[in-house]
Amino acid sequence: MVFGYYFGLALLIIAGLVFSRRTQGHLILLGLFNLLQWSLTAYAGLHLNSGTGFFKVDALAVIMLVVLSILATTSSYHSVFYLQHHHRLHSTPERAQSLYYAGLCLLIMAQTGAFLASHIAVTWIFVEITTFAATIMIYHERSEESIEAAWKYLFVCSVALTLAFTGILFLGIAAEEAGTVNLFYDSLVTHAPVFNAFWLKMAFLLTLIGYSAKMGIFPMHTVTIDAHTVAPPPVSAFISTTLMNVGFVGIYRMYAVVARTSSFTWAKHVLLIVGMLSVFVAVVYLVRVRHFKRMFAYSSLENMGLVAIGLGVGGLAYYAALLHLIFHSFTKASMFYQIQQVHQMFRTYVIRKTGGYFRNYPAGALVMLLCFICIAGIPPSGLFISEFLLIRAMLAERIFAILVTLLVLLTFAIWALGKNFMQLIFAEPDQPIGIQSETLNPIHSLSQFVLLGLVIYLGLNPPPQMVTLINEAIKIIQ
Amino acid sequence: MHGLILILIVSLFFGGIVVKTKSICAGRKGPGIFQPLKDIWRLIRKGAVFSETATILTRIAPSIYFASVLLAVGCIPFGNVRGLLSFQGDFVFFAYALALGKFFMIIAALDTGSSFEGMGASREAHFSMLAEPAFFGVIGSLALYTGRTSFLDIFTYLHFGNYLSYALGSVMLIILVILTLIENSRMPVDDPNTHLELTMIHEVMVLDYSGFDLGLIQYTTNLKFAMYAALMANLFTGTLRALPDILIFLGTGFLLAVIVGGVESFTARLRMGRIPQFAFSLTSYALLLFLLVLFITGRFS
Amino acid sequence: MKAIILILFAISLLNISISNRLRGFARLLTLQGFLLFVLAFIQLNEVTILNLVFVLLETLVFKTIVLPLFLDYVIKKNRITRETEPYVPYFVSLLIVTVIILASFIIVQQIEGLSGNTLFFIVALSTIFTGLYIIISRKKLITHLMGYVVVENGVFILSLAIGNEMPMMVNTGILIDLFIGVLVMGIFVNKIGDVFQEANNEYLSQIRD
Repeated sequence: MVFGYYFGLALLIIAGLVFSRRTQGHLILLGLFNLLQWSLTAYAGLHLNSGTGFFKVDALAVIMLVVLSILATTSSYHSVFYLQHHHRLHSTPERAQSLYYAGLCLLIMAQTGAFLASHIAVTWIFVEITTFAATIMIYHERSEESIEAAWKYLFVCSVALTLAFTGILFLGIAAEEAGTVNLFYDSLVTHAPVFNAFWLKMAFLLTLIGYSAKMGIFPMHTVTIDAHTVAPPPVSAFISTTLMNVGFVGIYRMYAVVARTSSFTWAKHVLLIVGMLSVFVAVVYLVRVRHFKRMFAYSSLENMGLVAIGLGVGGLAYYAALLHLIFHSFTKASMFYQIQQVHQMFRTYVIRKTGGYFRNYPAGALVMLLCFICIAGIPPSGLFISEFLLIRAMLAERIFAILVTLLVLLTFAIWALGKNFMQLIFAEPDQPIGIQSETLNPIHSLSQFVLLGLVIYLGLNPPPQMVTLINEAIKIIQ
Repeated sequence: MHGLILILIVSLFFGGIVVKTKSICAGRKGPGIFQPLKDIWRLIRKGAVFSETATILTRIAPSIYFASVLLAVGCIPFGNVRGLLSFQGDFVFFAYALALGKFFMIIAALDTGSSFEGMGASREAHFSMLAEPAFFGVIGSLALYTGRTSFLDIFTYLHFGNYLSYALGSVMLIILVILTLIENSRMPVDDPNTHLELTMIHEVMVLDYSGFDLGLIQYTTNLKFAMYAALMANLFTGTLRALPDILIFLGTGFLLAVIVGGVESFTARLRMGRIPQFAFSLTSYALLLFLLVLFITGRFS
Repeated sequence: MKAIILILFAISLLNISISNRLRGFARLLTLQGFLLFVLAFIQLNEVTILNLVFVLLETLVFKTIVLPLFLDYVIKKNRITRETEPYVPYFVSLLIVTVIILASFIIVQQIEGLSGNTLFFIVALSTIFTGLYIIISRKKLITHLMGYVVVENGVFILSLAIGNEMPMMVNTGILIDLFIGVLVMGIFVNKIGDVFQEANNEYLSQIRD
């Protein structure tokens, strides 16, 4: 019932955004939407394990919803300033701005639906809607490159989601043979051990491949890489964090279905392979990347690979995977928000052409330094904690060869990231720029300090509610 | 024996009906039905001229061609009555006897030393190679469906019970008709009325023949048509008595001639590059038919 | 009857692989839509009337009528040339699609426990792979869109195999994929046609490392 209200109101606000033409209208509606989102999150936090019909509030959903709401607020805030700046430079039409805001709200709403869904087909429907919404936003700049990225994103995600749908159909076939026709997650988890192993494995594989386009891991990572290179920074901040969480939730729930069957070890091996390949591909490209946003995209690929490895290892690594997911969302979002200001100063994203950021804008450079510390997993970053837990879990499971390879690859990744970050912050640019006429406002860097502070604080001093929630979320696959 | 006589009778008037149909479709009255036969009779009584570079191959090839087609005709049954040469596995013999004749025509075309003939020969070889698996697909499906291995047994035991077998039968019929068009070098694969050597396929192979040989080759074309018509007619006969069988045979020959004439009047020849696709798609259809029959008879690998 | 329709569907796949004109391709998609309509009518005999009418209307109206008209509109609006422009010759495409059909036949034979839906699986699997092959072997973006529709048809056949027990799956899949996927993609092809002079794959290679 409550969810019905939520979706109805959200659709109304989106319709209002599509048809409104004035900036004040946009701001008011956007503020209303964020209020709606936070109230839903509060409701979900208070009513854990409730929900009827197609939506259910469980621990995983609550964690993801809190992350989503925080990032939704910051993204809305930064989107407003991005659109103002862009409008000043390129004078975009009002209609494009309406579509952008509508797309943003649609994306947030669809992600909420995907997190809360308790039926496998409902998850799929909402993920399909996120593709549509994200495409609208990627296409916002209407340049040749953004058309190319938007088309590729739309097309490849649609094909990938068709594959995921085929996986759901196979699961349906397995369920039909076992006698149930119920595709709710609870019923699937209880009945899964009697399913035909072949159909279950095929369903898991296809769902993994399909949702890998959303989560950004091998084999369909290419579409997110290209999308990030071109999308506006607030959009990228959203796509590379919460949208990847949506992909994760899709795979995670499918993994929970397989968790109590005889195919569990096989699924763990598949996830391990996929994760290792993702990290490998990411590192190969990271060492020779030349574009900031592309570098961030490959870093997302690497981190998602680590999450997949965490899922594949088991034991303590489940906790590490979820922790890594939360911290990575915050860190990556602040990286993208800050790169927006870098672009304002340097008018380019090419790494070689930037430099001397510390001299010109200390607040932003400090953010960037903190970002580097956080993303590279250097203490006191929360990502250090999660990676440490992951390595401990791998030692406990005694998979040494993979561990050593992973550590070597991560070393290369840290080197590549450090090289590029230091170029931005401290080195001299290849082509020195003139002093920009508009000074950058340190207020805009405030949100990133908050987010990064959260990462460090939550890593060192996790509040008991968070720990309980994560442990509850892990119970599904044990 | 009856089969052979009936096929010979059909071959006598087949060419004439094709020409007559084309004329009527073009709005003319056209020559009489036996005009092509009269042309062949005239050719047979003429003398032959051979090129200086031609060897004995050119002299014997038309006769071998004719003989091979006669051998193939001998395999075809007539309702319940066996053909002169029916035996187990004779459909393979059928296909390869025809291939033997075609082989000799091809190398005789190369033998004359003319480049046009060589070009036509290579095209002819290419297209019939691509369409040959279609024939085996169709006959193989029939063999699988009835479980027998000779033409006589296949056609005797072919029962059209449920609608599925009717559908199978009609698809096989369509494939056989198109196969006839390809094997006999008619539209849309080859235009027999073209006078441009670069666009000919079969006609250019027989450019250097004259007199008795040319007459023999033209009659063999008719005979091949009648043979395919008999093959198609056998799909419908089976266990009927003699008189309806004869009527069906003659009727099928007549209908096939009208269809060939109609296709020649109303379609253009396919672009040369599209003919391999056309021939191979026939093979793919026959393959699908075979898979369907495998599925129906429940015989999975 | 179902077997015949499925084999006709497979024959249309073969024809798609050698079609060299966009209009011909669109007409084959119409034929496929119609075959799916008849198949849905025969197969779904245990669902409620409402569901049945919904699925039938959707296949008939959307796949058979609206989709080809929409494709024609996109082709005309962008003045896309007639040829399909593949990367491999048509003969090789035909060969590959035949091999795909054979391979899916052999693969499906190895699976046990199919409860009589074997032919559905064979045709569905070959359709999906043929659709994917068409997407990767053609230059024009409109043919990518048509290849995606072929993949959708394959998934539809698969969902018909279990459609009697789970009608919601059939509805959801087709609705969302077609309405959102194809319509939005069509809009995008229009936009791409506006920006570049030709909606070709070769122009979409600017983003690289």
